[in-house]
Parts: sequence; C-alpha cells; structure tokens
Amino acid sequence: MTAAVPLCAIVPPYVLDRLAEAGHEPAVRSLALDTAHRAARLTAPPPTGGHPAPSRVIADDGHSQRLPGRTVRTEGQAPVSDQSVNHAYDGLGATFALYADVYGRRSIDDQGLRLDATVHYGQDYDNAFWNGQRMVFGDGDGQIFGDFTACIDVIGHELTHGVTQFTAGLQYQDQPGALNESVSDVFGSLVKQYALHQDSADADWLIGAGLLAPGVQGVALRSLKAPGTAYDDPQLGKDPQPAHMRDYVNTADDNGGVHINSGIPNHAFYLLATALGGPAWERAGRIWYDALTGRRLPADADFTAFARATVAAAKARYPDQTSVADTVTASWAQVGVSPG
Amino acid sequence: MDTMRIQVTRTGGLAGIVRHAELDTVDRTDAPHVHALAREAVAGGLRAPSYGVPDGFHYEITVDGRTVYCADPKLTDPQRELVSLVLREGA
Repeated sequence: MTAAVPLCAIVPPYVLDRLAEAGHEPAVRSLALDTAHRAARLTAPPPTGGHPAPSRVIADDGHSQRLPGRTVRTEGQAPVSDQSVNHAYDGLGATFALYADVYGRRSIDDQGLRLDATVHYGQDYDNAFWNGQRMVFGDGDGQIFGDFTACIDVIGHELTHGVTQFTAGLQYQDQPGALNESVSDVFGSLVKQYALHQDSADADWLIGAGLLAPGVQGVALRSLKAPGTAYDDPQLGKDPQPAHMRDYVNTADDNGGVHINSGIPNHAFYLLATALGGPAWERAGRIWYDALTGRRLPADADFTAFARATVAAAKARYPDQTSVADTVTASWAQVGVSPG
Repeated sequence: MDTMRIQVTRTGGLAGIVRHAELDTVDRTDAPHVHALAREAVAGGLRAPSYGVPDGFHYEITVDGRTVYCADPKLTDPQRELVSLVLREGA
C-alpha cells in the first residue's frame, strides 16, 4: 500500500470501520480521509460553467496485469490503430454523455472526475472491473469471451459501479450487492439505448451482447427483459438469474449471488420502462437515478427499501402524474417486491 | 518430492460465472516449481474471503486440504501464476 487513498476508494466505509477498530493503520488513515472527502462532496458547490466535457485517459497494460499501464490515448486525441483503445475511449464517452446530458451529472463523482481506463489487462483475461479508480478490461480468452471493450453497456455497467460508490455506496453483498449490480446493468443498458437513440420497446435489454465467443450458446451475459435466458451452454452452464422473488437464490458464492439476484430488480426496471414507454432513460431512468443519488438510500438497502425509494422518487419528480408512481409500484409487485 | 493436489475456485467477475479446476502434480516435470508457487500462494492468502472490487474475481485456493482466499486486483505474483496455471491446465 503506497498510500491510504486507494484503500479509501475501494473499500466501503463499513469495512474500514471494522479494520480501523482492529487497529489496521492504513484503514484508520483511509477512514479519516474518506470522511473528509464525503464531507467535502456534500458541502462543495457544484462546478458552474458550460456543458460538462469528459476527460479520458486510456492506458495499455501490455498483458502484464500491472496497473495502470502505459498511456496510449488522451482526451481529444485521434483514434489509434488499436481498436480496444478506441472502443474503451468511445464507451467512456458514451457513458459520460448519458450521465451529463440526461441527468446533469459531471462525470462519475459529479465533480468532473477524469475517466481512466486500462485495456489489455492480463493474459486471456476473462473480465472487466472498476477498481475504485479506473476501468480495467481484459481481452477475453477467445474461447468463451471476446474483448471486453466491445460492449458499451459493459463499459456503462463498470462506470456505474463508480457512480454507486460515490452516491448510495450500496454494500457489495447480498441484496444491497444485487442492487449495486442491478443499477450497473440498468444504466449500462441505458448507455447503449441512449447512444443508439432506442425506445424501450426497441432495445435489446441485454448486457454483453456480442461478448460471448463464436460457438458459445447464448446471446449475452444477462437479459433485463427475460432474466435467466441469456445463455445455456455446455461450458458456461445456464444463465441462473431469477426474475421474481420466489426464485431468489440464497448462496454464499459471488458475495451472496450479487450477479444472480440482480435479475429481480433488473426485471422490475424493464417492466417499468416498457410500461411507461418511450425512451427508457427519460422517466424510468430518471426515477432510478433519483433513488440512487437522493442521499436517502442506506448503504445496506434491500430490494424493498430500494423499491420504496423509487416510488418516493417518482412521486417527487412527477407530482402531477400519480400514475407514474403507481406504475413503479406495480412493476415491483410483478417481481414479488412490495414497496409497502 | 511428494505430490500436491491444488484446487482453484473462481467466483464473481462481471459474468458471475463460477469456474473450478484442480490439478495433481504427480507426473509433472515442473512439480518443484508448482509446489513452490503453491506454498507462496497459500502463504500470501487470507483465511476468509475478502471484499475485492465490484465485478472482480474472487479465488479460493486449496492446497492439500488447506484453503485460502484472495481477490483481484490484489493477487500476489505467485497467486496470479498459480490460479492461471490451474484454471488453464487443471481438470
């Protein structure tokens, strides 16, 4: 650990608390910094000026798995010959555009955070993740997965983990963890829909369409429209996502099945967006965004607490259209969650 | 040199797909190297699963019945080499 800051960015406060209680020195320092950062964010006036513009820096890991890698393209520079670099650059831009244009958000932290990404991470690395500070993309092994920069919904998904980190801070475990995952899927899909100017009825509602290698039996990693149907393959197994609380999966793996049970809130969002009609990022997306960023949602929110937050957000945002909040309630009810 | 039985389970990741593989070092010409890697990987591991990062891979490494945990992106070099070897060449 070279400094306390990386730990501060990655580790949620409740873990820092626990570590700090145990006398872990970097955690004590991180916690102090973290508290200061949070306070600064709450009191800092929003930056003023024109329409926000992204600041992107793409680095190449050269397969070494040593971050951050060598910088290969920065904001405003022309495309390079390496398409992974360009796809990452474009995907970061598309994500920035959705948040800025539609929700008025200035980057991931709403303070103009520079968007950093590293491509070609590791050898045949089958993953992409947000490490608390930057996006990291593997090339895929070519057998099951292709290049993880290929899907802008995946890029939107990862950067949304950053947005969640800076807002509701949903714990990455059990139901709050599944909500954290679901919010990333929802806004990941909205990044793609916004870039393609698609209405909710025309969107594919898939996460990772085109990411599976040729020969794998499946269309994507997940489907918000039909959870549990994205793939069914001898190597991968079958998409395990439920679409209803009655099929909620209790497991210790994957932080309590955060990538599995996210199917339930994912489907609630899909039901809402298609019931309201039109572009999903407008009313349905706005309600989800308000719930996530409204500062009332606790970090340990379960599905019911999040559902309540979305109903409250709908009432606050559309006070003269009570049917919108009713549709939110009905969408949750269809997946077995009662906002009460 | 005795043989070693090494098991790796990888969970999490953007796709949330579990992978498991195990490898026995009997008949491996590189057994001494793999044994050294495994010992170092276990020495650098945690006794309980760690939080990691959103969408990061989590690994459970079991060497001759002893289990440790680690998570991306904070793997030690021996852990990285070992999990990659077992997931690639194990059954």
